[in-house]
Amino acid sequence: MSLINDLFKDTRVVIYAAAVILAIILIAVFGLKFGLDLEGGSYLQLQLQGAVTQVDVTPEKILEVQFGASNAEKHGDTYVVTVPGKLDPTLADDLGYSGAKVVTQGNATKVTIVASSETIITNYLKKNLDADVKIVGVAPIKYEIRTNVTRESLNALLAPVGGSVPVGEDTFVQGVTAETVDETKKVLDSKLNRLGLQDIKVRIVDNKYILIDLAGMDVATAQDVVGKPGKFEIRIETENNESMHVLYGDAVESVDIPQGDRQGGWGVPFTLSEEGAAVFQKAAIDAGATKNPDAHDIAMYLDKDEIFSAPLAAELAGSLNKVPVRSMEARVGSGDAGSAKAKELYIHLREGALPVNVEIVGSGQVSAALGAQFKIQMVFAGLIALLAVAGMVYYRYREKRIVLPMITTSFSEVIMMLGIWAVAGWQLDLASLAGIIMVIGTGVDQLVIITDELMRGGEAAAASADRSIKERAAAAAEKAGAKMAATTSKVYLSRLSRAFTIILGAAATTAVAMLPLLYMGFGALTGFALIIILGVILGTLIARPAYGRIIGHILGA
Amino acid sequence: MELEEIISKYPPKQIMLIPIAIIILAFISLGATYFSTGSPVHLGIEFTGGTLITVPATGTEDAAKAQFAQYPLVDVRDIGNRYMIQFGPMSDSEYAALAKQVNAEYDGAEIRHMGPIYSKELQAQVMRYLPISFLLMALVVFIVFRQPMVSLLVVVSALADILTAAASMNITGVQLSLGTVAALLMLIGYSVDTDILLSMRVLKRKGSVDEKIIGAMGTGLMMSGTTIAAVIALIIVSNFLYLIIPSFTRMDVIADMSTVLIFGLAADIFNTWVTNAQGLRWYFSRSSKAVRGQKK
Repeated sequence: MSLINDLFKDTRVVIYAAAVILAIILIAVFGLKFGLDLEGGSYLQLQLQGAVTQVDVTPEKILEVQFGASNAEKHGDTYVVTVPGKLDPTLADDLGYSGAKVVTQGNATKVTIVASSETIITNYLKKNLDADVKIVGVAPIKYEIRTNVTRESLNALLAPVGGSVPVGEDTFVQGVTAETVDETKKVLDSKLNRLGLQDIKVRIVDNKYILIDLAGMDVATAQDVVGKPGKFEIRIETENNESMHVLYGDAVESVDIPQGDRQGGWGVPFTLSEEGAAVFQKAAIDAGATKNPDAHDIAMYLDKDEIFSAPLAAELAGSLNKVPVRSMEARVGSGDAGSAKAKELYIHLREGALPVNVEIVGSGQVSAALGAQFKIQMVFAGLIALLAVAGMVYYRYREKRIVLPMITTSFSEVIMMLGIWAVAGWQLDLASLAGIIMVIGTGVDQLVIITDELMRGGEAAAASADRSIKERAAAAAEKAGAKMAATTSKVYLSRLSRAFTIILGAAATTAVAMLPLLYMGFGALTGFALIIILGVILGTLIARPAYGRIIGHILGA
Repeated sequence: MELEEIISKYPPKQIMLIPIAIIILAFISLGATYFSTGSPVHLGIEFTGGTLITVPATGTEDAAKAQFAQYPLVDVRDIGNRYMIQFGPMSDSEYAALAKQVNAEYDGAEIRHMGPIYSKELQAQVMRYLPISFLLMALVVFIVFRQPMVSLLVVVSALADILTAAASMNITGVQLSLGTVAALLMLIGYSVDTDILLSMRVLKRKGSVDEKIIGAMGTGLMMSGTTIAAVIALIIVSNFLYLIIPSFTRMDVIADMSTVLIFGLAADIFNTWVTNAQGLRWYFSRSSKAVRGQKK
């Protein structure tokens, strides 16, 4: 057919045809992935607890209050703290200044601490919040507090040392730094992978929230798996059922796969770092566990739950008296429960605890059967929408030769989008499918603009819906003083360009209005926004220029 | 013919009283809701926090109510072979217990849980992003036309569309959810399409303003028609089909979204061809006199 030959000489039409074919190939090769709400599974929305804050406080004052000192002075890189009378030798260590020099002369004690002012502030916050504190940023120096604090609670905490959080909105920000979010995401990622779960997606939203999709898992199980930071702690019993902290999980250097014994008991062997082993030895000796193991149980906790508590074995107690011991084992129980617990401990020891506590702010689940049903319903909706739109177009133009290219173009825009989704590996969720239907509805609009602009049929078209297209085209052509067949003529091109000014304006407004949705709603509507934005772009750049040519030829033929 | 009469029979200033009255009515509706609830539209569960579950309808509604009586139950609704059960805010441990119970007792339960942090953050996001979206749209309109008055008319028409759509939510009892927010954003971007078409035609084509408006109307009504057709398809499938086809379920998000869209699109037809068109008639009748005076 000469029409087709003519058309394929046009670059726009060739690009369009190539894009559609490419999209079909991409869909066939990569396949489409569906979102959780269509495939079934559960999702969790986590907030990381913490704050990034500035602090107004003098380090000398902190030291004075902490040591009960009469005076604290800064000399270069060191602080000298003068305390009346004698000082508990372990106090400096307890406050986090392990290298401090303590000298008692007469009735005063001098403590020399090599530290920067930021270290002193960090130590104070750590000690009083019982949480990790990191220094972030320079001028102004900010502190990332990795626990749940408010501006008020922090001010109350700083009041005894005469400090406060400076007034202003950006001096105290809830949330943690992007790096911490990323680190948490990585730990979560590897922990979940260790559990042998398939198809888990961990995403960061808005730098503050972590979104986890767990395919094929119910929400109760998901919360159990993810909601705990996995903090491992070893404590030792001192006196009267009291215990003292010895080590955290970060002192564990390596861990072996859980092992079951003949009695069905499960244990997780692990190795302490050298420093960790030394700390453990010192604690065991200090507490008296090496001399009287039975009165001083060693306890291991995972997220403050006791998972193990037993006296030191006699031979271990004996050797600990002489040298640090690095190899240890946590016995966690027997049977299936023991096996599960051992596996959980293994994962947490291996991947480390989450840098911050997480709070589940939202969660949910969809069953696979319900998801499949939604899918069918949406395909149904899409088909009805396409038919309804086709009906409207036919009602207006009464001409198959316009209806068919229009509907085909609109449908091919959907194909192109799906092609992108397939190759990018993005998931289609319920909202994206709704987005596709909106793209069909709005995409045809633009084709209507092109058609009307080319035909000049806009005039009184509503009144003359029953007039045949040829009559109107002829009338319009006559009016403009040019034949429609002359598709390269000036009139045709100027009309086409005018149509595209309108289309570009309309497309741009639709796209920019959708931009905020990319960042809103914890990612729930990202698919909807993305599909509309991309649909508008693809339509305007590829499909509609080609449609302009094709319909020009058809009207001219 | 009728349409032409509406466009050109009455002086613009007189006709403009209708949209102004509608905008005032919309404001009254939003204001009244604001004073009774603290926000201009009724907030859905995503913004107030709470838990929503849907389970296969195996027993009666009362049986379902009794089953979950120990939780802060708000409402049980039949949504076509499933019950939708809504709960108020509850503690994390209560929620964990509820999730376990639901999964133990039902196959294929759907659960959505929105904690207080989630809903607060969502409220803040809407307050932040809805205006941003509108401003971005307005910016594009001003760039496209580079004529303050014409651009302003387009933006005002869009604002009227959004206000009408929001007010219609109060009248029809649709609550603000993520879906309806998406619909409002969609309206912000889409409702100006016909306004752009109209203004472009009036600016770029030759002929009398009234003729150009009527010409644009044919195309514009068709544009709205196709979109409304697509939205009606969504309404039917999400909202009514379950009444006919027993295996289908009501799709809440889509249903809310399409309800807001249909009101917004209806408002858009009115605001484009009355508010914006009459605004253009008024502006060009004034400026053509002024321009003729200035130009040689």
